[in-house]
Amino acid sequence: MLRRCGAGFGTLGLATLLARADESPLAPKLPHSAPRAKYVIQILANGGPAQMDTFDPKPELTKYHGTRLPIHLETERPTSTALGSPFKFDRYGQCGMEVSELFAPLAEKHADDLCVIRSMHTDTPIHENSLRLMNCGASIMARPSIGAWITYGLGTENQNLPGFVVLVPKGMPVAGADNWQSSFLPGGYQGTYIETQDKKAAQLIEHLHNASLSSVEQQAQLDLVEQLNRKHFATRHDPALEARIHSFETAFRMQTAATDAFDIEREPAHVRALYGDTAQAKQMLIARRLVERGVRFVQVWHGTLQPWDSHANISTEHRKLATESCQGITALLSDLKSRGLLDETLVIWGGEFGRTPTVELSQGEKVSPTAGRDHNNHGFTMWLAGGGVRGGTAYGATDEFGFKAVENRVHVHDLQATVLHLLGLDHERLTYRHSGRDFRLTDVDGRVVTELLA
Amino acid sequence: MRRWLPLLLAVALRPALGADGDAFFEAKVQPLLVERCYECHSHGKKIKGGLTFDSRSGWEKGGDTGPALVPGKPDESLIIKAISYSDPDLQMPPKKKLSDAEIAVLTEWVKLGAPDPRGAVVAKKFVVNFKEALRHWAFQPIRRPESATSIDSFFSATPRADNFTWLRRVSFDLTGLPPTPQEIEDFVRDPSRERFVDRLLASRAFGERWARHWLDLVGYADQIGTANNVPAAHAWRYRDYVIRAFNADKPFDEFIREQIAGDLLTTTSPDPLIATGFLVLGNVNIVESDKDKLRVDVVDQQIEKVGKAFLGLTLQCARCHDHKFDPVSQRDYYGLAGIFGSTDSVWLTGRGVWSSVTFTELPQTDRERAQLAERTREHEQTVANVKHDIAEARERGHVLALHLDDEERESIEKQKADADKLARDLENRLRHLDYIKPTPPVAHGVWENGAPADTRITIRGNPHALGDEVPRGFVPAAFHGQPPAIPREQSGRLQLAEWLTSPNNTLTTRVAVNRIWQKLFGEGIVRSVDYFGLRGERPSKPELLDTLASRFVSEGWSQKRLIREIVLSAAYASASRTDGPQRRFRLDAEAIRDAVLTVSGDLAPCEGGPALALEFAENVSGLDPKNVNPVAFSTSKFRPEQARQRTIYLPVVRSSAQRGPAEILDVFDFAQPALFTGQRPITTVPPQALYLMNGPLLKTQAAKLAADLHGDDRARLAQLYLRVLNRPITDAEAREALDFIADTPNAWTSLCHALLTCNEFLFRL
Repeated sequence: MLRRCGAGFGTLGLATLLARADESPLAPKLPHSAPRAKYVIQILANGGPAQMDTFDPKPELTKYHGTRLPIHLETERPTSTALGSPFKFDRYGQCGMEVSELFAPLAEKHADDLCVIRSMHTDTPIHENSLRLMNCGASIMARPSIGAWITYGLGTENQNLPGFVVLVPKGMPVAGADNWQSSFLPGGYQGTYIETQDKKAAQLIEHLHNASLSSVEQQAQLDLVEQLNRKHFATRHDPALEARIHSFETAFRMQTAATDAFDIEREPAHVRALYGDTAQAKQMLIARRLVERGVRFVQVWHGTLQPWDSHANISTEHRKLATESCQGITALLSDLKSRGLLDETLVIWGGEFGRTPTVELSQGEKVSPTAGRDHNNHGFTMWLAGGGVRGGTAYGATDEFGFKAVENRVHVHDLQATVLHLLGLDHERLTYRHSGRDFRLTDVDGRVVTELLA
Repeated sequence: MRRWLPLLLAVALRPALGADGDAFFEAKVQPLLVERCYECHSHGKKIKGGLTFDSRSGWEKGGDTGPALVPGKPDESLIIKAISYSDPDLQMPPKKKLSDAEIAVLTEWVKLGAPDPRGAVVAKKFVVNFKEALRHWAFQPIRRPESATSIDSFFSATPRADNFTWLRRVSFDLTGLPPTPQEIEDFVRDPSRERFVDRLLASRAFGERWARHWLDLVGYADQIGTANNVPAAHAWRYRDYVIRAFNADKPFDEFIREQIAGDLLTTTSPDPLIATGFLVLGNVNIVESDKDKLRVDVVDQQIEKVGKAFLGLTLQCARCHDHKFDPVSQRDYYGLAGIFGSTDSVWLTGRGVWSSVTFTELPQTDRERAQLAERTREHEQTVANVKHDIAEARERGHVLALHLDDEERESIEKQKADADKLARDLENRLRHLDYIKPTPPVAHGVWENGAPADTRITIRGNPHALGDEVPRGFVPAAFHGQPPAIPREQSGRLQLAEWLTSPNNTLTTRVAVNRIWQKLFGEGIVRSVDYFGLRGERPSKPELLDTLASRFVSEGWSQKRLIREIVLSAAYASASRTDGPQRRFRLDAEAIRDAVLTVSGDLAPCEGGPALALEFAENVSGLDPKNVNPVAFSTSKFRPEQARQRTIYLPVVRSSAQRGPAEILDVFDFAQPALFTGQRPITTVPPQALYLMNGPLLKTQAAKLAADLHGDDRARLAQLYLRVLNRPITDAEAREALDFIADTPNAWTSLCHALLTCNEFLFRL
């Protein structure tokens, strides 16, 4: 009988699986130099959190509250008077880092793990462009995202899971799939997009299960496909045909492996309690489970479109956003640390840009209780933690109002060069030939900010 | 104390001028430059900001921001400003400030008049020797073969593929669809390959297949730019135009002319106007607030597209500097930029910072005019009805408001809320109706901007840093002889089209025939199909390429004739091998989906038309004119028939994954609509297998296929193999399949599903 002719689909030997790992474009590859981190979790506070309300205290700004600042810079929309931070800052950790009350729980536990960059700057105050620049190294052109570059450079350690996973509670962030595109890199390096909210583990990856077939029925069907393919291959010996046979085997294993990886119900109660029971927390926990299983790059988005885009009501909006995410982020760092994973996992937090120290002009000269801040590309804050970074550091500075990065400025390309460096990749050597030219993530710029390295 | 140091040093170091100045430079300044500046500002390392310090002329000429210094005047010298760290935007070296002593040396040097005895440095890296580069094969005239040479004379005899394999291959290659059982039976009765090929070439499916190849090169999407899902509501006209052009076998030179300069051709047909959509349907950054930059970025994209699609060159590389590998100068680039800069492509919409691409009204026939009038009448009736309903609901609300003090307050409040909500919903409906109201036909396209002019070089692509003005012109490297002259009062697009299609152009026809070859063999004669420059691949058979290119022209630029000749050759008919001319490759996303629909009998014919279902209000948002963002679309709801139409007719979205029935595109390596793609990559990744195993398309269609097989088991198996694998089933296969059927629940659907996922179905052999 046909499906009894061969070994059968579900019973392939380990040896064949191992032999195949080498042929996959996602097989693990050696970095250029000794890596400090093996995995990346990139947390996107998309929309642009305000630096002067989170990690970059500006007492001088408070003095100007309600009046015009002596400096003015152009941003997306006209802005007017100064808005002092409605949030209180305190010192935390042995390093004495100043952090606002919004992220107090994080700072209490992990101030000495954070490497805060207060002097980030980017090219434009437009969400799409800045997100593309942050994630793909180019603000307009279609270019591969950093997760695609890294899986291209390093492969991934678990062949039963995608190497680059993108988690969003629901919907799409601004600039959509551009943020995790493979562009001219082969399609296998593209991020696998997953909506995490309201879904059971088995439904997270698209087409993971076949609702109308029992697993026995599906196995019979796949055994048949395998037999047909083997016979077809026998007279042709084309590697392309064989690769596709393997891809079915991998997909079959993924059905189990992915269900397991995404199922946070399998975590003990105390771990789940640590993270909390919110959409953000769920994502952080999934991210940890993925990294633990060897997934190379996990991108975690706060939400659809641009949640951190507090043009108005910053005092309530930012508090709400921080409350939504702080516990999960804190738990993620603690959990990674207790498992010994933080040393080899680089955690990145930040938005695509920051916010202005001034209120939008449309809100008038007077600062109303509902005031908010405009986009700000001239200066903003991001932080790194884990894999090879110098914890307990605040690097660089904005001016006295937090408008513009003035000291030890770090451009987005510099950050990208540094992230690649931490993974053992040289941003000038990680190239791909396309249209007759070698492309890289950092285009023709970028320097490794060695001052951030442990 | 510290503050005095520079001065003291300066005094101590002050040398006499002349030879002593040179000595001072060599002893103190040069080592400093080498150590602290060369890493980013020398020919041997990097040239950041266009500035070099490895020669006198380097700093004299300066970088993007002008000369690096003014001899004798430290206060006016950029270099002194930069090293003093007084301006946060200009701090050099960026990593670490120079020591006070080092700053003093450089300040003193400038004060002395910057003595620098060094000669000019000849750049070694990345500077094209034009004379040598022009010897590259692709810039040589096309050599016409002395006598008529057949394709097969270029290949040694190889084993032939069997008839069924050839039928399936040529059907997929020409139409993107498998042969039907009827077609196979007809062929067995009348095994004339010529007649079979002619039927395929004459079918509508031919254009539907080959148009998609072209759309890949154009960066086509039903979306303007990438930001905020702005609908390109008329893009479908360009898609339909391309399908028509292929089906009518529009001569390729005319096809080029229409797409570059269709608006300038004298004709009554709307097609040439629609064709110029080629120039604007791409990834335009319509949210760019710097409109000067937007204009030069759009021009850049037009140059890139023309370069890639027609010439196989990366012209866009010459935007900021001479091309680093190819004999294309920055002046060549700005010669072309003047042409496209004299053309209107974008306009400011009035909603916030948003721009859009230009569109153009199309001529109508009397019949179309009458139809429009009829549709307008119907529409106005609907609008009147809705307005009436709104008035009614509002009135009801008012009346109810008067009775709010009555006893049944709660019930009345609810009724009033319902009435108000109804009125609001109807008002939204009215807005949507206004948005979709019948209008005269328009297409996205370009026009002359009224004041054609040469353009100035933008230094490193910055529209606010302008260099020399460059007369409009073309790319001399790719042309022998006198190029067409551009009249002052014209943009030059017409002449560009003439230049592209001239027999003196060395690239256009080679690139075109090579693209066709690649689609029919899996690999181009030049494997880098989009790049014929010095870093590209050389043709594996240069004489074959030139033979095809010159015959293409002598046969009237007919793509169908060329395709016909190729698919009737023995080389095309040979069995697929990794070392032969014919390659085995996986079907692309469109072919897989269209084939599955064909095999199951579900495929519905389509005559084209709008891809975006904007007639569903849930697919349109941002209609309120006060909105600062433009109207946006979503693809949350499809027309029911779209699930059954060929994939080329489905909407293409640039800013997100493809949705609904189009989701298969992203799974199987669809060309990124933000790029221009001559040849798609072919990947093999597990999500493809998951899609085939568990996705909705195959599940549904396998069941339909199973239900559409008739007769006893053996008869059904024969039909199944003929439909899916396009060949007769063997006895052994039939026996095995019968065993499977006997053992398996839901056997026929499962068997159909298995065949639709097996390699023999998924590959074009």
